Amino acid sequence: MLWQSCCARNLNAVGKRQYRDIEDMNVNKPVEPTVLPVEEEMDQFAAFEKSGFTGTVGKVASDDPCMSAKNVDVFYGEKHAIIDVSVDLGRNEVLSMIGPSGCGKSTFLRCLNRMNDTIDICRVDGDIQLDDEDIYNKQMDVVLLRACVGMVFQKPNPFPKSIYENVAYGPRIHGLAASKTDMDEIVETSLRKAGLWGEVKDRLDTPGTGLSGGQQQRLCIARAIAVSPEVILMDEPCSALDPIATAKIEELIDELRENYTIAIVTHSMQQAARVSQRTAYFHLGYLVEVGETDDIFTNPQHKLTEDYITGRFG
Amino acid sequence: MNEQSNQHTVRAYNVELDQLRHLIRSITKLVRLQIHDAAASLKNEDVEMAREVIRRDMEVNKLDLQADEEIIRVIARRQPMARDLREIMTAGKIVSDLERIGDQARRVARLTLQFYDGDRSPPNQHMLSDIYSMSRYVDEMIEKAIDSFDNRDLDSAGEVIEMGLDLVDQFRSAIRRLSTFIMEDSRSVGYAVDIVLALRALERVGGHSKNIARYMVYMIKGKDVRHETTERLLQEMHTD
Repeated sequence: MLWQSCCARNLNAVGKRQYRDIEDMNVNKPVEPTVLPVEEEMDQFAAFEKSGFTGTVGKVASDDPCMSAKNVDVFYGEKHAIIDVSVDLGRNEVLSMIGPSGCGKSTFLRCLNRMNDTIDICRVDGDIQLDDEDIYNKQMDVVLLRACVGMVFQKPNPFPKSIYENVAYGPRIHGLAASKTDMDEIVETSLRKAGLWGEVKDRLDTPGTGLSGGQQQRLCIARAIAVSPEVILMDEPCSALDPIATAKIEELIDELRENYTIAIVTHSMQQAARVSQRTAYFHLGYLVEVGETDDIFTNPQHKLTEDYITGRFG
Repeated sequence: MNEQSNQHTVRAYNVELDQLRHLIRSITKLVRLQIHDAAASLKNEDVEMAREVIRRDMEVNKLDLQADEEIIRVIARRQPMARDLREIMTAGKIVSDLERIGDQARRVARLTLQFYDGDRSPPNQHMLSDIYSMSRYVDEMIEKAIDSFDNRDLDSAGEVIEMGLDLVDQFRSAIRRLSTFIMEDSRSVGYAVDIVLALRALERVGGHSKNIARYMVYMIKGKDVRHETTERLLQEMHTD
């Protein structure tokens, strides 16, 4: 498994220090959980009460899981943000997570590479496995984990460095390139996979921050895939992009699926319908329904899912 | 599934769906009038009424186009999902069936012109009696089928399917009765052929009503049973 090869990597002290530099550059800045206006939360609660929720409906298991979450609970201090969620991420599959604001979809996504560790008041219970290994194991090196489970954020966040350095940074701190030639190859391959090579090959030494929003987001994707992850997590990756840039990212997601497992949080149901094979609907921290995307958007089994996707909420 | 919330957060969406439902009711009302008047024109030997039925078919066609435009507009503007998507897709199919019912009514009306518009001697009125009874029967089928759409009611849809079985029997009996007329008087063969075509048109009206009833299973339960056997269809309609 790729994950085992990832674990075999040896991050040196310099690499670890540089990784902390990345955190300083706000790449991994802790994101506070969404706090809903009281009225909105009341509406969601009323809909939930009325629905008579008794547990997740649909097929939570995958035939070939890459990641597997079982009975996951997340607490922010006293607040129970994720409640007993179990779901598999199938290998080479795109799982989209949808739901109203504050439903816990981003919180759950961030559990999958322990990004919630950066929030002091956050506690995660339950079992999340990557290739049958518990990622919350005390011996787990989260830096390596996050290389294997990469993340792309809502707002493109390239480092204030050149395009080349943006992509080369990860492989360098992980010691993935033995020579300049190796590094050049990793950079080119990553940029090609991210569909950006043709647009930037003649200006690799210019700042990444000088690219357009869509190009910056693809640069971030190239940066994530440069360290050969097994899973890519995307938290509303297109919400700051125009329709053309969004279409390019969606096309890219479809291509990346051949080599990676992808989980995407999105507020656009059309986007979830377009890019994913499976869809999970969250509501007030519960995983209400999960199933084939085609089924979820044409014939959902749970009333809450149906009311949400048809715009009958509240 | 539990009871649904009926209102969208975006109220204009509700209005658009209501307009579409209203349009379907209007087309239904018109095609039922067409079936009624086509049979009445035959019964009353009323050539003008038959011409009116043929002319009004153009109105049915216009409403058919209008409904398609509404459907395309709703899909483009709202990107419907789940029950809304199924309802809109079903509405499109229902409209097509209603338009074809209108075409069948025109065929029956043309019979009036063939028999009574000219010097040709009219047929024995007894030969036409099955047309009147079958037209009333298929009218009831259309009404029930559209009621099942309006009320999201699978029981009504099931009744339409069962009525369809009965309609086939009525059609066969009518053919047998026509045969006896031919045996009694071979000069009535020409009339009998025309009447068979009208009976067949009414039998097709029943078929379109059955189609509408079949769509209800998809609309309400999300299962496509259009090409299943009648037994399987009825079973699906009667299970939760």
